[in-house]
Amino acid sequence: MAITILPPVVEDFGPRQSDSEDEMSINSDEDTEMGGVSLDRPTKRARLENKIGTGIVTPGEVVTDDPQWMRGHGTYMNPLSTSIIATVAGTINKTNKLLSVHPLRARYTPEIGDLVIGRIVEVQSRRWKVDVAAPLLAGLPLSAINLPGGILRRRTSADELQIRTFFSEGDLVVAEVQSVHQDGAASLHTRSLKYGKLRNGVFLAVTGTGGSGASSTSTKGGVGSASAPAASSGTGGVVRSRRQVWTVNTANGGGDVDVILGVNGYIWISKHADGAAAASSATENVSITRMEEMVSSSIYSSQNDEIAPQTRREIARLAQCIRVLVQGGVRVDEETVMGAYEASLQVDLEVGDDDDEDELHQEGREYLEGAKARHILEVVIHGK
Amino acid sequence: MSNQRQASSASQTPHLSPAELSYLYTSLSLPGSPIRPDGRSPTQFRPLTAETNILPGTNGSARIGFADGTQAIVGVKAEVERTTLSADTLDAREFDPNHDRESQEGSAAVSGHGSWVQMSIEIPGFRDDDALPVFLSEMMRESLVGSVGADESGMAGGLKGRLVINKRWHWRLYIDVLLLSQPLSYPLPLLSLTTHLALLSTKLPKLKSQGEEDPFFDDDWAVAEYLYPRSSSTLKKSPSQHVRPPVTLLVISVGDNVIFDPNREEIAVADAVLAISVTRGEGGGLKLLSIRTIDPPSRLTQPGIPNSENVNMLGATPAEENALTQATGEEEVSGVWRPRRGGVKRSVVANMVRTVLKKGGVGEEVLEGLEGVEVV
Amino acid sequence: MMADRRRVNGPSGGTRPAVFASLAESGTGVSERAQRQRQPSELRKIFLKTGLIPTASGSSYLEFEPSASLAAARINPKSLIPPSSALKLACTVHGPKPLPRSAAFSPNLVLTTHVKYAPFAARKRRGHIRDASERDLGVHLETALRGAIIAERWPKSGLDITITILEAEDDRWWADAPDSHDASWGMMNVLAGCITAASAAIADAHIDCLDLVAGGVAALVSDEEKQSSAAPKLMLDADPAEHRSIVSACVVAYMPARDEITELWLKGDSSKASLENGDKRSVHEALLDGAVDAARGAHTVLAEAVRESLLKTVG
Repeated sequence: MAITILPPVVEDFGPRQSDSEDEMSINSDEDTEMGGVSLDRPTKRARLENKIGTGIVTPGEVVTDDPQWMRGHGTYMNPLSTSIIATVAGTINKTNKLLSVHPLRARYTPEIGDLVIGRIVEVQSRRWKVDVAAPLLAGLPLSAINLPGGILRRRTSADELQIRTFFSEGDLVVAEVQSVHQDGAASLHTRSLKYGKLRNGVFLAVTGTGGSGASSTSTKGGVGSASAPAASSGTGGVVRSRRQVWTVNTANGGGDVDVILGVNGYIWISKHADGAAAASSATENVSITRMEEMVSSSIYSSQNDEIAPQTRREIARLAQCIRVLVQGGVRVDEETVMGAYEASLQVDLEVGDDDDEDELHQEGREYLEGAKARHILEVVIHGK
Repeated sequence: MSNQRQASSASQTPHLSPAELSYLYTSLSLPGSPIRPDGRSPTQFRPLTAETNILPGTNGSARIGFADGTQAIVGVKAEVERTTLSADTLDAREFDPNHDRESQEGSAAVSGHGSWVQMSIEIPGFRDDDALPVFLSEMMRESLVGSVGADESGMAGGLKGRLVINKRWHWRLYIDVLLLSQPLSYPLPLLSLTTHLALLSTKLPKLKSQGEEDPFFDDDWAVAEYLYPRSSSTLKKSPSQHVRPPVTLLVISVGDNVIFDPNREEIAVADAVLAISVTRGEGGGLKLLSIRTIDPPSRLTQPGIPNSENVNMLGATPAEENALTQATGEEEVSGVWRPRRGGVKRSVVANMVRTVLKKGGVGEEVLEGLEGVEVV
Repeated sequence: MMADRRRVNGPSGGTRPAVFASLAESGTGVSERAQRQRQPSELRKIFLKTGLIPTASGSSYLEFEPSASLAAARINPKSLIPPSSALKLACTVHGPKPLPRSAAFSPNLVLTTHVKYAPFAARKRRGHIRDASERDLGVHLETALRGAIIAERWPKSGLDITITILEAEDDRWWADAPDSHDASWGMMNVLAGCITAASAAIADAHIDCLDLVAGGVAALVSDEEKQSSAAPKLMLDADPAEHRSIVSACVVAYMPARDEITELWLKGDSSKASLENGDKRSVHEALLDGAVDAARGAHTVLAEAVRESLLKTVG
């Protein structure tokens, strides 16, 4: 069947039993206070929790009127009173005496050290403007990139003239946030061999605490989300985690595939870049000593390597797994992505065993939706 | 200027890097089984949710939502209007004493007129006279009024004929299409499917007057008749017996592959984009109502630079000659994106049309799927 | 019809001079439909000349030869009713010129097309505000041309193509009821003319293109009184005024050198039509092939006109 038309799903707004979201936020409170100085003040903490009650506030709601708290992000204070009022809908977060409200789904706010993926939107004379899903475009100065061949020198006007040969409009770059300006705009750098122009793969943008999903491929928790299990962490999307970049050894002869999760919610899935192979593909008979140099010079290439169909299939499967996670409202990190990937392989096996369907039916079975997506989500959430 | 460019091209071209375009193109043009970025088969549509009769103030309405959150709502309203023959028809025959007065009313009174169907499309972010909404509504209207029904189906003259009440009165149909958010991909399939459903659910009040009387209608809504007659539920479904509103399918070709319901990235690398309108013909087969080419955005993309010509590839070698050749580099290098140039071969067009029309093909399945939507 | 909502408009309808019975009766030739006197595969003669507008970087003027009966009616008018019209249009190309500062970077030549009917072009007066059909034509034209020009040769620049239609094709015979040809078939001939003229003007402006792209129209027409069983006939370059009804029609923009179509617009319900025996093609394929043949014919004129203007400048 070429087309699937479903009846609209009515979201079930029944009474929610012991929400995991609440547990989560309280847990995190405890974590922070453990690390802080609060262990010796159990009474105060109890009082506060009584007062504040649920971990979720809506804009305009008084979080507390106890003057001992300092207001943090997502709150404001009337000049005449001591009460702290929430300005965003989200969970309350307490760090020592600082009270802040974290919105459940927010746009990305750059922080120093973040690994981000960005798309060049504008080329200026000495820098690029990069879309990193933040409210403001990030800047990437010409002085913050590696010159081809790893030469270290001042940027000359010749470099400025050929600025488009490094990065041009539409190009995707992986970079690190070097500094954040007063207005919240980030300044990036790519001064490392892991950073640079992206190729050999697919791009995908997700929403959540990470990206705002401003780009085309954004997958919002849309119509299908009603069927997703409610037992999720509440905040889908990419979160800052220990490993943002890893290599998957894919099944079905797909070989190694790299996954880069930008903190900003932009994701790149590509064929594993083997340093030596990349170098030898560029020019034959390169001496080992020049290898390093070759790798670094290929960071400005826009030519894709030869990629086998099996690898392309597995890349597509990984991309779908991430989409399923986002639609289910599950956070995206190495653990969940790998869990979903394993589950999707399993689903495929089961389907293959259950019934040998006709050729036509088999064609579309790589598309993950409906029952398959639900199954994968269950495995990811309960398998943890 | 750039706005103009976006409006007329197949969709607001997403800025994709040459490496992405090249990856997508190669994946989609793999002979036999293209790999779509979302794993669909070439003929598979994105799943959608649909419901009809959602607007009580209309004669018929429908809503369709894609999983990515884009939704379209269509409301159909019908008004009774006096058939006036425009000044153009004041033809000389009217003064001809030998001429039969009977035939003078003009055939408009019998076969209907295309201008009785009005269509407006509202897309957020576009003015209503921008090229895209105008182009879309013309495209959908021309297939709607262009269809000619079979005599025995009760809809002689197709939709136009159905709107005739008698020689002096007719229905005027307003089809208002509203897209709820800025489209994430070329909105044509969404709009066309929603319009189709809305027309299927459209009812006109039952006529009580007869012949050439001024029309008056039964005010019992329960006995109202469907604009497009539907098979009664007790009988075995035989949708082929009835005239059906057309659907316009968006089809792209990439390499040798023909791909349906493309998303924005897929359109961005297409060699050719066609909008093909079909409907059920007599005898159950499909008939073609219109074809339009849509400007493939791949022509506007940024070319990739082969490694051999990349000034940054070979370290600091000054490459003046290279810089010259890269603008004229004509030969295809694998893995390097080249914007599409030129047009499309006739055989490709024929292949695309054949895939839509063939028995048991995509066109039939789409119409069947739409027929299956519960019309309340 | 797109109305101007920003100002108070007059009544939408207009009037035309009355036609007196005596006139209609006396002239035998007046109330008779013009008959096609060409062979089914014969095109109207095309007049095409480039470089007529000195201020533009490229320009062209195109005219279709009026059909025989029309020419006769023009020389010897028997009625106040104007005889059927034939296409006349002028095309100007401005550019390549720099994009405005506000525009985003473009690696390609940015093409904009405008098609405008002169207010007096059609039987019914057209206002100065562009209406839906003019925009529609503009989009079609842009699609047709974008496939032909090599846009990456002119990065960061813009090209404006403006076509003024001085005299448009009628959608039907003047005495027919407005519904008989209510799809605007004349528009398709206009589009074919626009493509050919614009192609000549682009060549005149020395913009790189893959080939001269020419427009052609083929139509399935039926001339029978009633909807009889007689099969509709395939005609190239059909003049809507000469036929009782047009079943289906197709316009293409075609590049002979590459055997490629850059623009295809086919409409009309041809399900009931059948081709002559022995023709195994489906109806739409036959229409497409017919339109390509028509475009081939127009291409010879186009190439000749461009060569002619070159020779003139050479010496």
